[in-house]
Amino acid sequence: MRLLLLGAVTLAIPPLLPERHLATFVLFALTATVTVGVSLLMGYAGQVSLGQAAFYAIGAYAAGLLAVHGAPPVLGLLLAPVVAAVAAVLLGAPLLRLRGHHLAFATLAVQLILLSVLASADWAGGAIGLQGIPRLVGDDLGYAYAAIVVLTLAVLVSRNVIASRPGRALRAAATSEIAAAASGVPVGRHRLAVFALSAAMAGLAGGVYAFYLGYLSPGSFPVLLSIEFVVMAVVGGLGTVAGPVVGAGVIIVLVQLLNTLGTQPGMPGYAPSVLSYAVYAIVLITCVLYLPRGLVPALRRLRIPSRAG
Amino acid sequence: MRLVVEGASRAFGGVWAVRDVSLTVEPGELRAVIGPNGAGKSTLFALIGGQLAADHGRVRFDGDPVERLPAHRRARRGVSVVFQAARVFHGMTVLENVMVGAHATTRSGFLAAALRLPAHRRDEREIRTAAMVCLERTGLADWAGRAAEELPLGRQRSLQLARALCARPRLLLLDEPASGLRAAERERLAGLITGLRAEGLTILLVEHDVAFVMRLADRVTVLDLGRVIAEGTPAEVRARPEVVAAYLGPS
Ligand SMILES: Nc1ncnc2c1ncn2[C@@H]1O[C@H](COP(=O)(O)OP(=O)(O)OP(=O)(O)O)[C@@H](O)[C@H]1O
Ligand SMILES: [Mg+2]
Repeated sequence: MRLLLLGAVTLAIPPLLPERHLATFVLFALTATVTVGVSLLMGYAGQVSLGQAAFYAIGAYAAGLLAVHGAPPVLGLLLAPVVAAVAAVLLGAPLLRLRGHHLAFATLAVQLILLSVLASADWAGGAIGLQGIPRLVGDDLGYAYAAIVVLTLAVLVSRNVIASRPGRALRAAATSEIAAAASGVPVGRHRLAVFALSAAMAGLAGGVYAFYLGYLSPGSFPVLLSIEFVVMAVVGGLGTVAGPVVGAGVIIVLVQLLNTLGTQPGMPGYAPSVLSYAVYAIVLITCVLYLPRGLVPALRRLRIPSRAG
Repeated sequence: MRLVVEGASRAFGGVWAVRDVSLTVEPGELRAVIGPNGAGKSTLFALIGGQLAADHGRVRFDGDPVERLPAHRRARRGVSVVFQAARVFHGMTVLENVMVGAHATTRSGFLAAALRLPAHRRDEREIRTAAMVCLERTGLADWAGRAAEELPLGRQRSLQLARALCARPRLLLLDEPASGLRAAERERLAGLITGLRAEGLTILLVEHDVAFVMRLADRVTVLDLGRVIAEGTPAEVRARPEVVAAYLGPS
């Protein structure tokens, strides 16, 4: 019921937005989709990916390249998450056996390598970028709805997985790998599956992104973007379904506001970029200090006593 | 299940925790393993359950060597463990904790769950029903919706047992399941263990309460300093002077 209401409200937003905010909305929905995957990985599998933008890029380039070579856009969109997930499995299989932050560093390294490969690969447009990607739908409103569909899919899949047999197994392994394994849980394989699932979400969002922009370059997927996903997941609240969506929304709005402020007359030319970098740092520090469990759990705590009283 | 351990050894930092231990537990037998603190009882269980790898020796389930299998594959072969330390899963309800126990006996994976396929729904229904039955058996049904880490320690122990039972095991390893329980709970546990044995489950039981053990066990294995120093029926073991010296004490 609450979900239906939320869905109705979300669907009503795009037509009400002015043109320039519609672009922000599309960006928000796509970013939130990637963050849902990051949150799933961090909150339930206890793994951090510092290179999630690499899977966003892989999905985008897979969809873009296929479309440029004449494949129907829908096919590219369907294959984008598959290609990203396969890449994650190839990368994760040797890594998830190791403990701690190996995955974080490895994903970061993979993103750096991917960026330099893309920048020098002529078949992918090189540093100039991949141009002439056909459109998926007619106008920005269409992309807003495409992005909503993709985000909804990610949220539903994430919610379903968390409350299922493999989801319980992952959550169990987060407390005690030994006890989870003794219950028959192949801990490493489950973590790999969640990593692939999170990559698939990033890849799918990347696919929409490719058709939306119609143009891709390595510069669209900086390492800062990967960090942004992690910050959004932490700020929204790990271990909650709504957290990543709220986190992405809050950060994107903040960055937009500061951007507007930074481009006011009288501001120095570097103001927008400095301000938007600063926002991640400030929001993350504030969050870790005052809301260590993130926004969504904090809001929930506020609401429960007020209901009782 | 018939459990055979052949010459199992395991050292920590050059000290043998379990040294050349052999034992055979027949299907449906309730075997007690007793011994002083540090005798190697928990280590022996870990070698059987797969939490630790043996340095030497074999472990056989119904004749098949399993010593190279990881713990989760041994669980699929029918072994369930109740650990000495209460290892319950935090951030999950009591019911969900028990449902994890059914992992070894069900199949549906990420794809089925993500798309809510019929196979997944069927599995979920079965797992939930099985878990509720196990909660009833262990007296935890009223706690089903509570967060597992909120349970008192004794109940966390029962929760581990419920989780182990939810896997429908053929071999059950119980490492001091009665410690921390009050007299009435202890009686209830004794009744439950007797019932499980009557169903044909093979059970290994580590317990310091000798009276509790001697009343329940078919046979008793006594460990000291990682070695088997005696084995036999409760009455036989009680009569052995080396057991009295090492463990039972002059009582
Ligand atoms: N992970 C470990 N690392 C190092 N030493 C260990 C480890 N586990 C057990 N030991 C040592 O191995 C020996 C046997 O320990 P174990 O826990 O098997 O004994 P136990 O019979 O279960 O004792 P208790 O009755 O106290 O539970 C002890 O000397 C213990 O200190
Ligand atoms: Mg012990």
